[in-house]
Amino acid sequence: MKKAIALLSFLSGFSSFAQEQDSTDVAFKKRVLETTEVDFLMSYYKQDGSHSAVSGGKGMEELTDLTPTIVVAMPLNDDDVLTVDVGLSAYSSASSGNINPFDSATPSPWQASSGASAKDMWVGMTANYSHSSDDRNTIWNGHVSGSAEYDYISIGFGGGLTKLFNDKNTEVGISANVYLDTWSPIYPKELQDFADNGNTLNGGIFNNFTITGNTDYDPKNFKFHQDKNRNSYALSLSFSQVINKKLQTSLFMDVLHQQGLLSTPYQRVYFADVADSFINEFQLADDIERLPDTRFKLPIGARLNYYIDETFVLRTYYRFYTDNWGIQSHTANFELPIKLTDRFTVFPMYRYYTQTASKYFAPHEAHLSTEQYYTSDYDLSSFDAHQYGFGINYTDIFTGAKIWKFGIKNIDFRFNHYTRSDGLDANIFSFGIKFIQQ
Amino acid sequence: MKKILLLGITILALHSCSSVKEYEKEKINDPDMKLSARPEERFETNFQVYREASSGANGGKTGGGCGCN
Repeated sequence: MKKAIALLSFLSGFSSFAQEQDSTDVAFKKRVLETTEVDFLMSYYKQDGSHSAVSGGKGMEELTDLTPTIVVAMPLNDDDVLTVDVGLSAYSSASSGNINPFDSATPSPWQASSGASAKDMWVGMTANYSHSSDDRNTIWNGHVSGSAEYDYISIGFGGGLTKLFNDKNTEVGISANVYLDTWSPIYPKELQDFADNGNTLNGGIFNNFTITGNTDYDPKNFKFHQDKNRNSYALSLSFSQVINKKLQTSLFMDVLHQQGLLSTPYQRVYFADVADSFINEFQLADDIERLPDTRFKLPIGARLNYYIDETFVLRTYYRFYTDNWGIQSHTANFELPIKLTDRFTVFPMYRYYTQTASKYFAPHEAHLSTEQYYTSDYDLSSFDAHQYGFGINYTDIFTGAKIWKFGIKNIDFRFNHYTRSDGLDANIFSFGIKFIQQ
Repeated sequence: MKKILLLGITILALHSCSSVKEYEKEKINDPDMKLSARPEERFETNFQVYREASSGANGGKTGGGCGCN
């Protein structure tokens, strides 16, 4: 009986949706975007840890990253918007610097190398075109993207369709994206020199340093990657619903498939069953990480936002993730915007993350040389992470402050501290300012 | 008792899930109520994708780029 009542309630709920007339039929057509908007965004990120993947799970992970970005959204007419997003990321990394630690007279996983790989710059651009129907209940979009760094190039394209129903209280979306990436692999210096000299110690760094420990250094497993491509295919589904005047929710699901070179060519691995060789205190690699050439990922996420009152809003997010490399994770995010005045909002935030280890992960010197796949990258290990911080938002809907033809609509600042249970710590500062063309 | 509670919540949720008219969406349209990440949040998402094994289902980018440092 109770089940029957529940079923009837469920069906009546849906039928009430169906009976609603769409009260937003077109009386007049408001422009999708009134005028050009320009966002300047910037972040500064700094991390440190002691499990560098480049040094096989042992070594400093110090990294700093500065990322200026500009996003310009332009109305092409009443219905169409073109958005161009251009950014760069300039980083220095002690970890990747140790791809070649032998530019120092005393190579060590615990000191930053001054080698060329210690610094790099990523540049990326995305152009997105969207079109809205006259009644604004159908939106389709297409985008192309490209990015490049020293050893990696990515080209992407995709498109999506969004439909709104039920007085725009219900929204469903589907999109598909493809990324075609290409590596220019860089290998740990000792492995590169060993292979370049016919699998001997007669040349390269071996002419300049004395090997200690096992002096008969012979990384038998090492060979160069033949496949240098990494392709990613993603299908994304979304559903959002206004539940009542103060509560709305959305669900997201992505189905991702990757194939190609999915391991990172310069991440070292040390085997438990191979005698250790050193130059100074830097242990010479037994091999690089080897991971399968396919990966299937399935993340499912949900947002729930509640307007508590004129002062407080609660923003929540949860995600479950699973993949065929043995990783499962849970992410929970909370943010509580507090409106101090009609222009200033502060928002404390907290994020919790936990993941299981990949079946291919083992710590430093724990893998065996007979295994097919192996990595000592702690990003694939089991850990928990806490992230907490705050943000400040200034909004002036009248754009009183102006620079040339642009008025400032809002300014945002965020700070977050991130701490991982394996000892990695990070801080990130983010800043954004939005201009509206007058 | 649990079933009754579940039933009550289901009925309440569906009852409250009535269509909200455009002129009633003042609170839903509050900028803090957006069902998407804030623009500056992209940088945090970016480093999380680097430092954690999982990604996606946040309405953002679903692939591409290395993220190996």
